[in-house]
Amino acid sequence: MHDRLTQSMRASHLLALLFVLASLALAAMGTATDDTFYLRLGTEALIFAGLALSVDLLLGYSGVLSLGQALYFGIGAYVSALTLMKVPSFWLAMAAAFTASLLAAIIGGLIANRVRGVYFALITFGLAQVLAKVVYNTRELGSSDGMIGIPVIEIAFGPFSVSTGSPVGFFLIVLVVIMALYALTAYLLDTPFGRVLTALKSNERRVPFLGYSAWRARMAAYVLAGVVAGLSGALYPMLRGFVSPELMFFATSGNAVISVVLGGVGTLAGAIYGSVLLVILKSIIGSWTEHHLIVIGLIFMLCVLFLPKGLAGVLRPPVEAWLSRHRRIPGPVPDAPVLPAIAVDTKAAPQ
Amino acid sequence: MTPVLDIRDLGVSFGGLKAVDQVSFQAQRHRITTVIGPNGAGKSTLFNLISGALRPHRGQVLIDGVDMTGAAPERTKAAGLSRSFQITSLFSELTVAENLRLAAQVLEPVGRTLLPISRSTRALAKTGQMLDRFQLAHKRDDLVGNLSHGDQRRLEIAVCLASEPKILLLDEPTQGMSHGDTAATAELVRGLTDDVTVLLIEHDIGLVMSLSDHVVVMHQGRKLAEGSPDVVRADPAVQAAYFGHA
Ligand SMILES: Nc1ncnc2c1ncn2[C@@H]1O[C@H](COP(=O)(O)OP(=O)(O)OP(=O)(O)O)[C@@H](O)[C@H]1O
Ligand SMILES: [Mg+2]
Repeated sequence: MHDRLTQSMRASHLLALLFVLASLALAAMGTATDDTFYLRLGTEALIFAGLALSVDLLLGYSGVLSLGQALYFGIGAYVSALTLMKVPSFWLAMAAAFTASLLAAIIGGLIANRVRGVYFALITFGLAQVLAKVVYNTRELGSSDGMIGIPVIEIAFGPFSVSTGSPVGFFLIVLVVIMALYALTAYLLDTPFGRVLTALKSNERRVPFLGYSAWRARMAAYVLAGVVAGLSGALYPMLRGFVSPELMFFATSGNAVISVVLGGVGTLAGAIYGSVLLVILKSIIGSWTEHHLIVIGLIFMLCVLFLPKGLAGVLRPPVEAWLSRHRRIPGPVPDAPVLPAIAVDTKAAPQ
Repeated sequence: MTPVLDIRDLGVSFGGLKAVDQVSFQAQRHRITTVIGPNGAGKSTLFNLISGALRPHRGQVLIDGVDMTGAAPERTKAAGLSRSFQITSLFSELTVAENLRLAAQVLEPVGRTLLPISRSTRALAKTGQMLDRFQLAHKRDDLVGNLSHGDQRRLEIAVCLASEPKILLLDEPTQGMSHGDTAATAELVRGLTDDVTVLLIEHDIGLVMSLSDHVVVMHQGRKLAEGSPDVVRADPAVQAAYFGHA
């Protein structure tokens, strides 16, 4: 017995698989042409795709808009950078970033989950701004300049090892990490635990009367999203060799939201496509005009107006239809409306 | 035998308004107890106090002899209490089957919480059973938001039952239903008492008289009278306050 979400998840998996194939093709081409630029750009797009994934988990599944998800991305990046400068170990950096983002997301979740809707968006925004400013003014963390000189490291798996300095090698590592985060998130959403998260988006008030603590579910979604963002951020200093407070600024959080909307809210795979699309758009438009932000803003608005379900909203239904024809399960039903209205809930106001 | 639901001196006020005031009664196991009263009498507020949606200012709620006063809804649910809402409250962006399964999921052992949903076999079986029992099988993959009002009202009862509660609180389940649907729903509610204790809010007096084992009459937050349907109907105070306007 397959249900609608399981089925649309399968369509997302197929899109994710196509994405991996395209990435492998890029890796092969990059190796053949001895390219560095596009592989590095692709790696960066993938890293930010992890951040977009975390935004989509919140916006598309548990139904809350975080405008400060870069907070956890930045924490992951800084903790990874600090670790790498002491001990050049990929695994240690990832473990440190995991722990730090987990703890930070628990604290942030305790604060942000006191409120709903617009207030939630504002609090997450505020939390990220506050920490960004703290980092900006902390000399030990390099202040406004950030930290430079993060060493190139060897990532060891048993007998093999890959250098973060190898464009294609590190591209593949990042691809594996981001797809693992995608797979983990998608898996969890397809469990009873995940279904309670999606129920929050549809009708949070009803959830406790079914026997589930809505607060716990909200916390779980928030912490999971924080960790996904933190682990993605941990890869950033390995790619660029530096971290700066900009990683936590609103522009970073906002770009992740834009990526999710471009790619399709509530599809996971869409967040990854959207992130890559945004990076491509920026670099193409950026080569024509320095006012590329204006153009991106316009594209974003047009997308919200005319393509509200994003790229995956267009790509996924035919994939679902194709899947259901081949599995003989009931045909696709229209997707749930995207972009949940940010209802101002009077009861949710800070008490 | 301890009553399955024991309400003692329950009260809550909104500002100066005593929405529920000094209400006490008991619901006997496997019986239908109906709460009636004019609009604004405090019936839905009483349900909110019992189910944990609101915290009472005074009094107690005992479920199976255990004090559950002011417990959160997920705790009253865990104690065996399911409730429906006067204004349908379902997951309109999920399908009929998904709504049922979400409710039935509490039947699964905790160990399955993080396993793929297809492993939740008890919840799946329960979902199928409820779909058949409520004649919703052909609509199992429809989004709930697209169902007719009557189907949504029926699904709301099905969702409440999917978790196998001991006590079922139904707030005007037939509200806005067609004549035929109302009769069918009454029949259905009558059939529930094998498994559950029903606490019902209902406006249709004919239905109240034919369905209830016990009737509690509320007026301006207070309990005006209680007893068997016939006794309550004959009560002069009830006639003045309620049937007089009916
Ligand atoms: N959350 C609230 N805040 C303020 N007043 C409330 C609230 N809930 C209910 N009331 C008031 O309490 C009184 C009882 O309302 P309640 O909804 O319990 O009545 P009811 O008996 O269910 O009526 P109906 O038959 O119309 O459903 C009403 O005067 C109502 O306006
Ligand atoms: Mg009412």
